Amino acid sequence: MTKIILETGGSVWKTLVKQGDIVAEGDTLFILEVMKMEVPYEAPIAGKVAQLLIGEGDVVEEDQVVAEIDPA
Amino acid sequence: MPPPDQKAGISSHDEALISALPPYRSGDPAGPVDKRQASRANAGMSWQPEIDEIRRRKTLALRQGGEAAIARQHAKGKLSVRERIDALLDDGSFDEIGPGAGVSTRGENGELLNFSPANFVLGFGKINGRRVVVGGEDFTMKGGSPSAAGLRKSIYTEDVALKYRVPLVRLHEGAGGSVGGAGGPSLPSPVFDRARFKSVAQCMAQVPVAAAAMGAVAGLPAGRLVSSHFSVMSKSTAQVLTAGPAVVERAMGEKKTKDELGGAQIHTKNGTVDNGAEEERECLVQIRQFLTYMPDNVWSTAPVSACDDRVDRREDALVDLVPRDRRRAFDMRKGLELILDQGSFFEMGKGYGRSQITGLARLNGQPVGIWANDGRHLAGSMTADGAHKARRFMELCETFTLPIISFVDEPGFMIGSKAEKEATIRHGSTAVLTAALTTVPWASVMVRRSFGVAQAAHYGPDSLVLAWPSAESGPLPVEGGVAIAFRREIAAAPDPDAKRRELEEMLAARQSPFPRAEALSVHDLIDPRDTRQMLCRWIDRVQPLLPALTGPTGFSVRP
Repeated sequence: MTKIILETGGSVWKTLVKQGDIVAEGDTLFILEVMKMEVPYEAPIAGKVAQLLIGEGDVVEEDQVVAEIDPA
Repeated sequence: MPPPDQKAGISSHDEALISALPPYRSGDPAGPVDKRQASRANAGMSWQPEIDEIRRRKTLALRQGGEAAIARQHAKGKLSVRERIDALLDDGSFDEIGPGAGVSTRGENGELLNFSPANFVLGFGKINGRRVVVGGEDFTMKGGSPSAAGLRKSIYTEDVALKYRVPLVRLHEGAGGSVGGAGGPSLPSPVFDRARFKSVAQCMAQVPVAAAAMGAVAGLPAGRLVSSHFSVMSKSTAQVLTAGPAVVERAMGEKKTKDELGGAQIHTKNGTVDNGAEEERECLVQIRQFLTYMPDNVWSTAPVSACDDRVDRREDALVDLVPRDRRRAFDMRKGLELILDQGSFFEMGKGYGRSQITGLARLNGQPVGIWANDGRHLAGSMTADGAHKARRFMELCETFTLPIISFVDEPGFMIGSKAEKEATIRHGSTAVLTAALTTVPWASVMVRRSFGVAQAAHYGPDSLVLAWPSAESGPLPVEGGVAIAFRREIAAAPDPDAKRRELEEMLAARQSPFPRAEALSVHDLIDPRDTRQMLCRWIDRVQPLLPALTGPTGFSVRP
C-alpha cells in the first residue's frame, strides 16, 4: 500500500481516476490548483487505486493523505 | 636475545630497578594506584607509576557516564558521543584533544579512586581523508549540561577549528547551563573575559561548520547547532528546544512534550535546521556528504572530483519537462537530476521555504550551489521564508567560493495579506540585494517564468544567462498585469472574460525569449538538452577565476 501525501495545500481542480481504477506508474491521479497553477500528482507505482479520499473542489492541506494505491 | 640496554630505551640500570619492584596489578587498569608502589618507583627515579596513572585515567575517561548510562542511551536508539565520533570519522583517525580533562577523586593515601572526564569530547579526525575538528556533548554525564572542564573543551572547539583552518563538526545532545552552575562556588566571569560567541561567529566566516542534533538539544547547544552552515536533526531521537518543557510550563503555563515543542516536524519546516534524517547515523552520512562540496576554509577552493558523467550528455526528457500549458506546474527536481552530475544533488532545507529549492551539486566534478524555483509550491513565488532560505544559501556559496547556478521559474514575490504580514517585501529585497553583492560566478537558466523585482535575486552580477524556449519574462506575469493595465478596456468589452484572455495571449507572446536573444538580453537561447554541456563549458571557463575569489567575504553567513 502506497500512500499519496500532499506536498502542498490548495484545492482539488480535477480528479482523473476513481477508486478501483488500475493505474500505471506515472499516470496522473489528480490535479490540484495552487496559486493559479495546476499541480499534477502522478502514481508513484503501478497498481489499483484502493482509496481516493478527495473530490473536485475540495480544499486540501499539506501532509494530507489523499489516496492509497495497492501495488500491482 | 638483545642486550638489555637496547630494549625500548630502558637502560639496564632502570630495568634492574623495575624488576625489583612488586608486580603491577595490570588486570585492573582502573584500580587504585598504590601510594607505596609509587614512592618505591620514585625512589628508583622512574615515572612508571605516573605513567600507569595516566593510563588508568584514560581508561576511566572512556567509561564516560558508566555502563548503565550508555545502555540507557542505546535503549533509546542513540549512540554515545564517542560512538558518534567513531561513526563519523574515517576509521582510526580520531586524535583526541584534552582526554585528561575532568575531575579525579583520591583516597586517604592520595591514591586515585576515580576519574570523571569532562562531558564534552573534542578532537581532530579525518572525513574522506580530509582533516576536521569534531566535538560533542556527552549526554551520559549530567545530561550533557556542561561540567567545568566540559565547558572549557566546548568553548575551545571553535578556537581549534579557526587556528587550524579546518571544517568543524559538532554533534549535539545536551542542555545548556544550569542555575546550579558548572562546578563548586566560583567567581563570575570577569569583565575582561572574551566575548563567548565571537569564535562561533568567526567560524561561520572562515571554516565550514556542520552540526547535528542527535537527542534533546536545548539552550546553549541549540544556539550552537543553528550557528552552522549545515544542520541536520535525527527525526527519531532529536528535539531542538530554546527551553525544555519544564521551563516552558513554569513560564508560560503551556504543557507540551519535548517532541511537541521541538521535534523534527516543527524544526525541519521552519528553517531551524536544514535537514531531517531518519536516525543518528543518517545525520552523520549527511554531514560527510555536505563536507565533500566544501573547501577546508575560505582561503581555499572546494575539491574537484573525478567525474565519469559525460559533459555532453543530452537528455531528451528535458524537451518536454516544462508543459506548454502555462498553468501546469512541473517537477523542477527532475530537471536538476537530468542536468547535474548524476547523483550529485544534495538538497538542503527541503522542508521550509518550499517554493525555493537550494542545494549543492557537481558539474563535471566541480562543486556548485544550485538554486531553483519549485512551481508546485505557491507557484514558486518568493515567500518570506523562501527569501530567507535563498539569502542564507547565497551567503554560503559566496563564503566558500562556490559558483551559483540558478534555474529560474520565479513568478514574483508572494502577494496577499498573509504575505504582507510576513514582511515578504523586506525579506525578499534582502535576497535581491544579497545576489547583487555576490562576487562568485553565476549562471542563470531561464526555465520558465522570470518576473518582478523577485526575479533579480536569481541573477548575480554578470550572470551567464541561458534561456529555454519556455522562458517568459517581464515586469509581472500577464495574468496580473493585464487585469490592471487594461481594466477599462476589459470592463467595456461585450465579453470581458474573452477580452481578458485575448489580451493575455497577445501579451504573453511578447514575453517570449526570442526578442530577448535578438537584443542580447540573454547570452543564448538554447535547446534544453544542451544545458548540461553549456554549463560544463562555463564551469571550465570560471574554474581558473576561483582561487583569486577566495578569502573572507564582505558579508558572512548568519544563522
